[in-house]
Amino acid sequence: MKKEIITSSLTGDSCVHLKHKSGLDIYICEMPGFSTVNAYISVKCGSVDTTFRTAGEKDFTTVPDGIAHFLEHKLFENEECGVFEMFAKTGAYENAFTADDRTCYLFSCTRSYQENLRILLSFIQNPYFTPENVEKEQGIIRQELQMVHDEPENRVFYNLLGGMYHSHPIKTDVGGTAESIAGIDAPLLYKCYNAFYNLNNMSLAIAGNINSDEVLAICDEVLKPCSDNGLETLLPEEPDSIVRPEIYQQADIGAALFNIGYKCTPASGSELLKKSTVASLAADIITDASTEMYQSLLDKGIINSTFGAEAFTGKGYFALMFLGESPQPEKVREALVNEIERLKREGVDEKLFRRTKRACYGDFIRGLNNVNYVTGLMSNSFIRGIGTYDAIDIISAVTADDINKFIITELSSDKLVTSVMEGMAN
Amino acid sequence: MNIKRTELAEGVGFSELTDSKFKTCSVYIKFITKLDQSTASANAIASGVLSVSNSKLPSLAALNEKLSELYGASLNNSVRKYGDMQLIGLSASWIADRYTLEGEDITGDMLNIVCDCLFHPNISGGEFESSSFSISKNDILDTISAEFNNKRGHAITQAVSAAFRNEPAAVSVYGTKETAEAVTSAEAYAAYLELMRTARIEIYMISPEPITAAADQLKNCFSGLERCPEEVSYDSLSPLKASPETVEETAGVNQCKTVLVFKSELDDQLAFYLMNNILGGSSVSKLFLNVREKQSLCYYCSSRYMSSKNALLIDSGVEKSDIPQAEAEILRQLDEICSGNISEQELESAMLTFENSLASVGDTPSSYASWMFDNFLDGCDDTPAQRWEMYRAVTKDRIVQAAKSLKLDCIYHMLSTEGESQ
Repeated sequence: MKKEIITSSLTGDSCVHLKHKSGLDIYICEMPGFSTVNAYISVKCGSVDTTFRTAGEKDFTTVPDGIAHFLEHKLFENEECGVFEMFAKTGAYENAFTADDRTCYLFSCTRSYQENLRILLSFIQNPYFTPENVEKEQGIIRQELQMVHDEPENRVFYNLLGGMYHSHPIKTDVGGTAESIAGIDAPLLYKCYNAFYNLNNMSLAIAGNINSDEVLAICDEVLKPCSDNGLETLLPEEPDSIVRPEIYQQADIGAALFNIGYKCTPASGSELLKKSTVASLAADIITDASTEMYQSLLDKGIINSTFGAEAFTGKGYFALMFLGESPQPEKVREALVNEIERLKREGVDEKLFRRTKRACYGDFIRGLNNVNYVTGLMSNSFIRGIGTYDAIDIISAVTADDINKFIITELSSDKLVTSVMEGMAN
Repeated sequence: MNIKRTELAEGVGFSELTDSKFKTCSVYIKFITKLDQSTASANAIASGVLSVSNSKLPSLAALNEKLSELYGASLNNSVRKYGDMQLIGLSASWIADRYTLEGEDITGDMLNIVCDCLFHPNISGGEFESSSFSISKNDILDTISAEFNNKRGHAITQAVSAAFRNEPAAVSVYGTKETAEAVTSAEAYAAYLELMRTARIEIYMISPEPITAAADQLKNCFSGLERCPEEVSYDSLSPLKASPETVEETAGVNQCKTVLVFKSELDDQLAFYLMNNILGGSSVSKLFLNVREKQSLCYYCSSRYMSSKNALLIDSGVEKSDIPQAEAEILRQLDEICSGNISEQELESAMLTFENSLASVGDTPSSYASWMFDNFLDGCDDTPAQRWEMYRAVTKDRIVQAAKSLKLDCIYHMLSTEGESQ
């Protein structure tokens, strides 16, 4: 197990990375002066990973949508007692979440981190699924899906993805649907667990008031050796084109919402990080409050302080999204299209570009103040296959020309989708 | 925790804390004033104006441009409710000078910007400049409209309004659409002047190294102001209704909501916090383990203690047909605590949760500021370690007495408009 020390050349911050003999990737960041310890177990098992096979299997298996999220719920129960009860004995805060590309289990505490780490590493290695506890969970998850379905921010977002993607599973809610989760049973959960919850497909990221040697000793004690199962996932072929340019939905809401997005060409690995960084900077530049477009929309009451943009990127998908509240989303779209066409002709303003880069650098420094942010940074570097502090180096290296190229080549009007969630009275 | 607190002017506290582990400097300015239907909107709009411009950076564009240059420094306002009070905040955060790429003194620039926003807003002819005013007013109006987008939040707001009807705590912290719509630029400016004159003000500065100029700079600014701080009552008990009231609302939702509000006259805040944690404040709470895990009725069922009103609120999202069963189980779990059915493990786990939480104070600049400000509102000066000792002294019997003292005041239901669910 060779320790690699990863250091940010710009800030001097550093963390340790190593591949444990069990197969687990481990990231450790000691943060003197902090009381909190945060730990994430990250599994490369996201909502889009519904078709897979392991070494020796000829055929791919396709499982129902929402199974990664279902697994996340069920891992919190083992044969002896609930995992919640185990963490309660130390007073730690525990949680988990599923995203399109990962499932993460985490705890946060200020005492007994050693015991909490043992619990975390143990429970993710000990699944316990029965017909009874799977059926019970279906009721809870159905209510979670109902709740999420009532959140207009969620609906307008998934409607946008439905307008962009023909077959990519990113267009489906992370939790699946009431119908898809009805098709999940204990054998399917075990099949999925055995494929994805292999330590070679997982990482531990731990930061804060810790001792690296102690962390590694606990990993040696608790982790069972695991051979790589040669997991492969498969995504369906996704055409470049969009499905449809406009999706409107009415709901009982107070303020109308919009998501306007450009479907872009996907990327992977270090290319994905660079492209995502360029896209994020482009998003910030286009929506900067100092621009004429922003001022004009704001003065006319077409946008408010919720207006913003982000790059939404991952395995096999890449989009630049503009979002916010507006009584006139078509006016927002018109202004965005005009502004982007202007930028294609004239290029981005050099001063604005430099300011935006400085702001990104400042955001990164601010994040390093926070134990949870640092843990997330290390977890992300495993999931995305990048260096922990690469983002800050890439921000420094981006040029205005990179932004201009991205805008010209990726923001094409035939890839533009508008999703609007409007009130019943409209 | 080495805090240096001084009085900059009458009713204006300034607390400075240095912690070398941070890479940023932060300042939090908190105004405390009475929550009142007639002033809530104007106060909220005025605080918004302070965060979008000042006399030297007279537009959102100019201010934003400068903040971007200062490595994306942030400047935000906030408006929230604490019992019968309206808490208005202006905060700023920026990276410490040692992290700038060219050794710039951005701390000096940020102190000037904060002081200009606070003491020299962009005014014209005795009122806020129209563009900054419009941005803030529209934002407040949109915030009021968007409240209904968050159904869980809306359900809690409605339950609180019903439970504390005719009390300041029932008033929306932003006012209503009508009161916000009616505020003029001159009225918002007058509200700002009144806040500067009469509100209690607490300022917190947290930085990796002492910022020696800050206290004097702020003191000089306050010296030009006439101050006449009003007395505010931080805790105000709410009278219990003669019988529990049920309020129902229909909405186009898939999931119904239920909220129960209980009130108490018992004065034992720490026992209530622990009781709340055992009942519905964690993933091993009685509500979580029984209403969610055993009965599979919901995704969330939790409780929260509102110390300023000595009230407990429980909320859950459930199917319409399951509402009676969920409420019965909620009441049954509260009864369990009243009957003393609290295991040693439940008690210990609640204690440990607070120990963990108290020990994490100081791991972020905002946690320092929140700790100091909450202490101020509670009229105490405890350290987290002292507070932990006080929690340790709470007995099981005190927790049972706290639970027994709770009386159901109000039930709120959000029901789906179309049959069982949409």
